[in-house]
Amino acid sequence: MSGASESTRRRVLDALRRDPLAVGGTLVLLLLVVVGVAGPWLAPSGVNDVDVDAMLRPPSGAHPFGTDELGRDVLSRVLVAARVSLQVGVVSVGIALVAGVTLGLFAGYYRGWLDSVLMRCMDVLFAFPVLLLAVAIVAVLGPGLLTAMVAIGVVYTPIFARITRAGVLAVREQVFVRAAVSIGASDLRIMRRHVLPNIAAPLIVQTSLSLAFAILSEAALSFLGLGIQPPAPAWGRMLFDGRGFVTDAWWLGVFPGAAIFLTVLAFNLVGDALRDVLDPRQLTLSEARRSTA
Amino acid sequence: MSRNKLGVIGAALTLAAGVLSGCSGGEAVDVGDGGGSTGGAGGVLNAAIGGEPDQLDPHKTSAYYSFQVLENVYDTLVEPDADLKMVPSLATKWTTSADQLTWTFTLRDGAKFSDGSPLTSEDVVYSYERIIKQKLNTAYKFATVKSVTGPDPATVVVTLTAPTPNLLANLGGFKGVAIVEKSNVESGKVKTAPVGSGPFKVAGYTSGDSIKLVRNDTYWGDKPKLDGVTFTFVKDPTVALQNLRSGQVQWTDNLPPQQVTSLRDGDDPVVKTAPSTDYWYVALNEARKPFDNPEVRRAIGYALDREAITKAAKFGLATVNQAAIPRDSAFFYDYAPFSHDPAKAKQMLGQAGVGNLTMDLMVTSEYPETVTAAQVIAAQLKDVGITVKIRTLDFAQWLDEQAKGNFDGFMLGWLGNVDPDEFYYAQHHSGGTFNFHKYANPAVDKLLDAARTETDQAARKQAYDQAAKQIVDDASYLYLYNPDVVQGWSKKVSGYDVRSDRAIRFRTVALGK
Amino acid sequence: MTRFVLRRVLQSAVVLLGVTLVVFLLLQLVPGDPVRVALGTRFDPQTYEALRARAGLDQPLPVQYASYLGHALTGDLGVSFRTGQPVSRIVLDRLPATLSLALTAVVFALLVAFPLGIVAAVRSGSAVDHAARVFSQFGVSVPDFWMGIMGIILFAGVLGWLPPSGYVALTEDPGRWASHVALPAVTVGLVTASILTRFIRSSVLEVLSADYVRTAEAKGLRNRVVILRHVLRNALIPVVTVVAVQLASLLGGVIVIEVLFAWPGIGRLTFDAVQARDYPVLQGAVLLVAALFLLVNLLVDILYARLDPRITVK
Repeated sequence: MSGASESTRRRVLDALRRDPLAVGGTLVLLLLVVVGVAGPWLAPSGVNDVDVDAMLRPPSGAHPFGTDELGRDVLSRVLVAARVSLQVGVVSVGIALVAGVTLGLFAGYYRGWLDSVLMRCMDVLFAFPVLLLAVAIVAVLGPGLLTAMVAIGVVYTPIFARITRAGVLAVREQVFVRAAVSIGASDLRIMRRHVLPNIAAPLIVQTSLSLAFAILSEAALSFLGLGIQPPAPAWGRMLFDGRGFVTDAWWLGVFPGAAIFLTVLAFNLVGDALRDVLDPRQLTLSEARRSTA
Repeated sequence: MSRNKLGVIGAALTLAAGVLSGCSGGEAVDVGDGGGSTGGAGGVLNAAIGGEPDQLDPHKTSAYYSFQVLENVYDTLVEPDADLKMVPSLATKWTTSADQLTWTFTLRDGAKFSDGSPLTSEDVVYSYERIIKQKLNTAYKFATVKSVTGPDPATVVVTLTAPTPNLLANLGGFKGVAIVEKSNVESGKVKTAPVGSGPFKVAGYTSGDSIKLVRNDTYWGDKPKLDGVTFTFVKDPTVALQNLRSGQVQWTDNLPPQQVTSLRDGDDPVVKTAPSTDYWYVALNEARKPFDNPEVRRAIGYALDREAITKAAKFGLATVNQAAIPRDSAFFYDYAPFSHDPAKAKQMLGQAGVGNLTMDLMVTSEYPETVTAAQVIAAQLKDVGITVKIRTLDFAQWLDEQAKGNFDGFMLGWLGNVDPDEFYYAQHHSGGTFNFHKYANPAVDKLLDAARTETDQAARKQAYDQAAKQIVDDASYLYLYNPDVVQGWSKKVSGYDVRSDRAIRFRTVALGK
Repeated sequence: MTRFVLRRVLQSAVVLLGVTLVVFLLLQLVPGDPVRVALGTRFDPQTYEALRARAGLDQPLPVQYASYLGHALTGDLGVSFRTGQPVSRIVLDRLPATLSLALTAVVFALLVAFPLGIVAAVRSGSAVDHAARVFSQFGVSVPDFWMGIMGIILFAGVLGWLPPSGYVALTEDPGRWASHVALPAVTVGLVTASILTRFIRSSVLEVLSADYVRTAEAKGLRNRVVILRHVLRNALIPVVTVVAVQLASLLGGVIVIEVLFAWPGIGRLTFDAVQARDYPVLQGAVLLVAALFLLVNLLVDILYARLDPRITVK
């Protein structure tokens, strides 16, 4: 197996290198990771350096992105907020990935009543528009960073479960799996060693695209005031706090929004490029759900 | 629970003059029955308010949005005029017994509910008993009321357990003590289709969008010039302003605060501000260390830059005040011992043996200015070595945490208080119902108890001044500011003005072309 | 065919049952006493007891669920904690606003996506194709509320052509309705259009490369005729699904846009209910949206099966 995945890796890298959009997306992502890690050091001033005498100043040398309604430096807040977006994206997609893959594996591998029950549960979750379900979950658990991550994770679990199950069903009947069963390998070992590596491609693609949706969803929750709470900076929250001022202070609306857009775009570009290479025929179910983010 | 806490434009709306006029007994100003009806072409005024009423039952709602509408639908026995003096409304005159324990009101002849049925003493008794027996929002205003009776259809007798100098304000301060119609209440329709005796009546309610009022032709007073008023719910102040400019609405109180100063200079729309009777403050939990130490609380008082907080929270549309009662009130007490002095604050904290303090500050998304101000406060306290952790809760949770005492500090405001008892008693008396921060000073208790039933106004004022000084010195509340009432309307609107009690009255308004 | 329809209906019913369970459990997961929390400042013992009893919270869980389900079947979704009005009426009152926004947005999206997607596929690799790809990538990456804010700044602020927000019922004044619906519908519609463009393009491309199209071309039919007669018909069948799914998700999913533009639809209702902790209304709105979503999907599947006979009973 390792030989095959080695060549896959090279194939992916080659393809990504040839696609200028994917290169651009990757560069933005790298930049984002740097900012996410080093944001507080890169920021010219503290995120909570309040200076009410300098409120709502337009962009200038001292404040390249201007100042907000409390006189804080918008550039600094945009930089530091990158970490929140990445954190929410990674953790919530991590939740969805682990939960979805586990459920999908069991459903697809054991089939029968377990499959029916699990997949009907996924159908139920799938019956809710993404943001509506996330909002409902946050409403119940109370707003905040943790609940936002859990809510988004739950919302994106079914898609991972479905992809995994479909992959497992296809792999299950193949010779090497049957062989492993016949020599008495345990179920868990078979799933881990033989099934999972063979369904990795669509999962990788879905992970990349889901990161984009998760970051959009977090921004939307924050824009509704249901995400991370002040004074911690988050892009969606900055738009929420600044929406009363945007007609006078356009910079409060433009910069945090542009940051969200670029981040999501980068994940989408990389995800699409990955899909073209790894899994060109994957159903565009996810696309159909995107608009609701 | 929280009665006239925020959101209720509750509380006694009376000034010393108003109280005196009531006590002297029988000052009768008969306004008489209104003039003839003016016909048809008055037009409909579109008013944009910042949110949707939770319900329209005046005794049960606590939302200011509801009272904006209800002010034009209901009547009370008496009502505050532009100077917040209590004047006749449904009652044309009243007398007080010598022992001050029996008040007799004479009801207006010909007052009717908008469905045509007459309004009699029976309705007054029903309304007051409903509030008292069901312990509704304003029940505390009837704390000294022993009984309410209607010996004949035009007479209401209120008997008291103790002299109550501000009874008129309690019975007429705002529409939370309105006279309701029994059948309307019992059918449950009062929640969405209330029937009152006021200048307008509810004609339609589109949830999430608007409430339509039309002129009440059975109104006892001067017939309103407008054919109707439509209240539209517009959450976003920028949008409300744009709607006002484009002529879609002709009145709003939801203006972007940062633009008000420049808007005030223009003449269309007309934007006016007036000092309100509200105050905003920070309270520290005296049941917790180190906030039990008055030196620590005072040190925080010196660490706060109230000008900066006010500027951030209200864009200058407020007056900084270190005590509760605003400058325009007869009970204003000019006392401001704190200066913004971080060095001194640090030194005081050091002397109190407090270092590396982390403080949990509770604010609520229901009132965004607390969230804004908290971020400024956090920055200021950081300068004196206190780390503030801001906790933003929705109001329901907030009240719960407040009641349980789960906080180091919180910021909130009180709206619409005028009588000094409303400013101090519940908050600072050791047995006060809103003393959640556990302040207790026997000297203050004594002063507040005595002032409550004191009928001599000079003595009353003196007692409240002494109490106020002690409360500020003990830093029971760290008072921040008194905000302004801000409203704007189209140049076509005439006959309207801003009131400091935030009551919105369209009965005398006309709409030009 | 009948068996297929029956099976799908049954399947949807099972999922709907699950949806009601999730919606029911929402209220149970609220930490603390939901009625107490919802009443907040308006707490009074009478209302409290009445609401608790009305919501059935004094019963054991399975009984509560059974009664919730029973009531829901008869259209009774309980009463609002906030106003005491029946939830079903509150929710249905908001449906016209949401429907008119969703339909307008989808019509706008179709008007953009059809020409763009078809031309991009037919002239694959051309400038139009590249533009279409940029557009679809833009649409799925831009936060719709940000685009809405930009739209407000530009069209309501700088240019002053359109009202920044608000709602007028179509039945009340079609002209003013149109001016109000324009910004939110275009904002939502652009995102939908970008998804549809991508889908239409790939769907048309796929059919263009199919054998029968090649045969038709070999027979010398002119390009335009081929496209119109053969390609579109076949390419559109899968597109119907996506359009319907989009429409279904718009019916309940545009919370942010409805909040931003003060559009009194289901999304705004949901948001307001969250803020007021009015759980019965939240439950009702979520339930209605999920049910609509399922219904649309069911209808699409049946329609799809009729259009494409290959899909009947498998």
